[in-house]
Amino acid sequence: MTSPQRPSDLIQGTLEMLILRVLALEPMHGYGIGVRLEQISRGTFRINAGSLFPAFRRLERDGLVAADWQLTENGRRAKYYRLTPQGRAKLRRTTEDWERQTTAIARILKSSLGEL
Amino acid sequence: MSWIHKILNGIRALVDRRRAERELDEELRGFVDASVEHKVAGGMGREDAIRAARLELGSPTAVKDAVRDAGWESWLDDTARDIAYASRSFRRSPAFTIVAVLTLGIGIGANTAIFSVVHGILLKPLPYKDSDRIVRLYMNMPASESPSKRPLRAARGLTAQQIDEVRQRVRAFSHVGTASASLRGLPSIEDAARLQVASVSASVFEMIDAKPLLGRVFTMQDEVPSSPPVIVLSHTAWQRYFGGDPAIVGTDLAMDSVLGPRTEYHYTVIGVMPADFTYPDRQTMFWMPFRTATPTGAPQAGPLVARLADGVSVEAALAELTPLLRALRPEAPATTYELAFDQRELVAPIRPALLLLMGAVGFVLLIACVNVANLLLARSASRQREMAVRIAIGAGRSRLVRQMLAESLLLAALGGIVGTLLAIAGVEGLKTLATTVTRIDISFTGFPRVDSVGVDATVLAFTLMTCVIAGLFFGLAPAMLHSGTDPVRGLKGEVDSQALVFARFGVRQWLVVAEVSLAVVLLVGGVLLARSFFMLATVHPGYTAEGVLTFQVTLPNARYTNQQLKLFAEDLSTRLRAVPGVQSAAYANQLPMVNLTDTGGGLYLSADASRPPTPLGPEIRLVSRDYLQVFGTRVVAGRGFQERDGASAPRVMLVNQATVNAFFGGDSPIGRQVFVGRDVVPWEIVGVVEDVRQYGLDRAASSQYFVDLRQWAGASVVFPVSPYFAVRAAADPESLMGSMRQAVKAANSEAVPFNIAPMTALVDNSIARPRLYAALLSVFAASGVMLALIGIYGVMAYTVTQRTREIGIRMSLGAARNSVLGLVLRQSLTLTVIGVICGLLGAGLTGRYLESLLFGVQALDASTFIAVAAAFIAVALLASYVPARRAANVDPLVALRCE
Repeated sequence: MTSPQRPSDLIQGTLEMLILRVLALEPMHGYGIGVRLEQISRGTFRINAGSLFPAFRRLERDGLVAADWQLTENGRRAKYYRLTPQGRAKLRRTTEDWERQTTAIARILKSSLGEL
Repeated sequence: MSWIHKILNGIRALVDRRRAERELDEELRGFVDASVEHKVAGGMGREDAIRAARLELGSPTAVKDAVRDAGWESWLDDTARDIAYASRSFRRSPAFTIVAVLTLGIGIGANTAIFSVVHGILLKPLPYKDSDRIVRLYMNMPASESPSKRPLRAARGLTAQQIDEVRQRVRAFSHVGTASASLRGLPSIEDAARLQVASVSASVFEMIDAKPLLGRVFTMQDEVPSSPPVIVLSHTAWQRYFGGDPAIVGTDLAMDSVLGPRTEYHYTVIGVMPADFTYPDRQTMFWMPFRTATPTGAPQAGPLVARLADGVSVEAALAELTPLLRALRPEAPATTYELAFDQRELVAPIRPALLLLMGAVGFVLLIACVNVANLLLARSASRQREMAVRIAIGAGRSRLVRQMLAESLLLAALGGIVGTLLAIAGVEGLKTLATTVTRIDISFTGFPRVDSVGVDATVLAFTLMTCVIAGLFFGLAPAMLHSGTDPVRGLKGEVDSQALVFARFGVRQWLVVAEVSLAVVLLVGGVLLARSFFMLATVHPGYTAEGVLTFQVTLPNARYTNQQLKLFAEDLSTRLRAVPGVQSAAYANQLPMVNLTDTGGGLYLSADASRPPTPLGPEIRLVSRDYLQVFGTRVVAGRGFQERDGASAPRVMLVNQATVNAFFGGDSPIGRQVFVGRDVVPWEIVGVVEDVRQYGLDRAASSQYFVDLRQWAGASVVFPVSPYFAVRAAADPESLMGSMRQAVKAANSEAVPFNIAPMTALVDNSIARPRLYAALLSVFAASGVMLALIGIYGVMAYTVTQRTREIGIRMSLGAARNSVLGLVLRQSLTLTVIGVICGLLGAGLTGRYLESLLFGVQALDASTFIAVAAAFIAVALLASYVPARRAANVDPLVALRCE
């Protein structure tokens, strides 16, 4: 199954922000997070274990997510990540920063020659 | 708080590595499983789903590595592994490791040793509080206002009243007082005859915030002349001489005078200082209060010592002080005043030399690092394959650089350990060499603060920093080179592209040139200092020190008249002459090297009122008639003193050559009459004596005139300080010591000899500094040269190995062995000559730092430069001879066959 576009590269911090967002809805295991990211972004961001797992590790280390082992729907053991209160706060802060920055960038990019 | 989490989690991961690994494995497996289920649920066949899931995951190892790197502890882990790897590879090549570690050990060790000295003497603050805010007043007096009739800079005393004026009027000082040193002896205690005592104002203790361990310190009341005499003990003195007696406060203490009339002093002990208290130095054992006047009412004076108020600069304080001093001292209008810090004053004479040594030893380290860099580059040729494999497996450039740096830092650390051990031994040796005898009557020509030199925490920190910098310095080049290896070529076994070889070799050649230049600069410096010391040590001082024993004698002067003292001196010298082994004996008011300047009242050419008010300049020497024989000072014209020049005979005088040149225009003064002081009875000059260098071998002789003591009827006490006796022995002067003591005791049972020393010891003492500098710089120069030669040898050996094929081709085409020899030697010669020229240029540029330390030789001495250049080139050629011969002996068949 190939994607129509090339997968874009994400900056480190951005991936973590996205993972936090996904987890804000409900706790999930690693693969589930990857699938959700791919789905919501309509294939722009593809599952890449080499980036996801280090991101999980970093989030865990920073205390933004907590993990424990649970049984999946298929009866197998998987490590489920959930958001901690610090994680929630960080998500909120990062989302605000991101929105502010993107609005500013969009404004600059869309401005007409006269405004520049 | 997240960083705390980070650290804790990292430690936890380190500690329980296996559990973390297992969990990650299980998580990855779960990932793949979930992926498969997801794909199957989407309609894929199970087989295809499994394959697709595996492809999606990629290499599990790569993922695990990426996860590992996300934690900080992986860095620690990697470094530990790098170091283990590096030490294994060093163990495999012991020769390289030993040479590299020793080379670094020499370089780092020398730096550590010299830094210990620089730190202990120049950098460490003096051992009392606020030493950087306490200043002392110095006066720069022109000849007209100085006591010795010569321009003088000294910390002359102000009277107690003047000090008090300063205390009240000058706002720039928070405390004002005085502190001076004196000597006292503890009667009937061995080794306690000359103890250092400080006479200080009460304010001095306040200045340095000194709190006593027992009892109290001084108050203003103790400075009043009529209050009971008190004394404060140091902790060392309390333990050593009084057994740490807890009830010492309030007891009576008797002490003897050491200089001047023999007096016994009585003090009440009022306090003991704690063990870590020192002022002004570690040798001070007791403190007495400065008395504003003697018991008889004569005002006392002492040098001004003051503490700058917070935030006040020295310049501001001096600006406020100078006008007050001018008002207080109207008799000295031309004197200028200066405030100086004790520490700077103390170390000023040796500061330039120490900084020079620090620079020199830095050169040695540079040479050592360059050598090790060369060694590493040479070694790198054999590691191409290894590097290629690592890159092929997936090591990043930065990872390789990190590993190479770990190796260099490990080498540097090993070198640092060796160096520190060498330095500890070296510093002990240096301290022993630098400790000189200190006598009040002789100018201090030794090294101050030697006791605070040692390899302490600061020095070790410096060593660590040196290791790190050195390791980075010589490790960076090979590291950058290796990380750029082409893995394909390396794996195929190709040694390297030709271009890279020559480029690397070019680097090595330039490194050798740099080494040679540094070594040449060091060598020029070492040779110059050595020559300078040699010239100093062999200068003719105007006397022969070998075989002469000198000493002084104390008598309870207060109970003897001038006449009795004179008779005692005569009697003693007669007894000494009778001792077997003694050739001649004499006594005088001072010896060579003794720091006493006395004009005896001044020499005048006429006695009437019309004569000029200022006398001729010569200093007086009051001597016994055998003095010239004992010291071997020649009589150049006329005659010396004889038996007949007794008390009632016509008064005769000798002058030295310098006096003749300075005051008699070089014409013979024999037969002329001169007058001393206010005396109207003339003296006739009957002889001219050769010049004697009085104050040091490097100072030209001053003008002097000699008077026989029998004829000297000066009204003042004849011997202001105990007379100096000198005895010339037929053999070793030290062997006479026992008989000398007996003779002294026989002459007067109360007499005690002291300051006993062979004259040669006094002379050696005076050149202790130039000797140490010359010795140290020569050692550094020798190390530098040796390291540079090793470097040359190494590079030439490498050249020959690299060019074996080429040499084989040349020889098979008909080149003679000698021409091959010449080829190699020429290459070495080129390198050496370029290095030597750069080195001589460097020596020329840095020559001025050496100027102040040289005697009898210029810093830009052509003969030294030429000699050093020639010697170095010769030795370098010698070092290259072995590899050159190896090249010449190459069997062309073998050479052409080897790849």
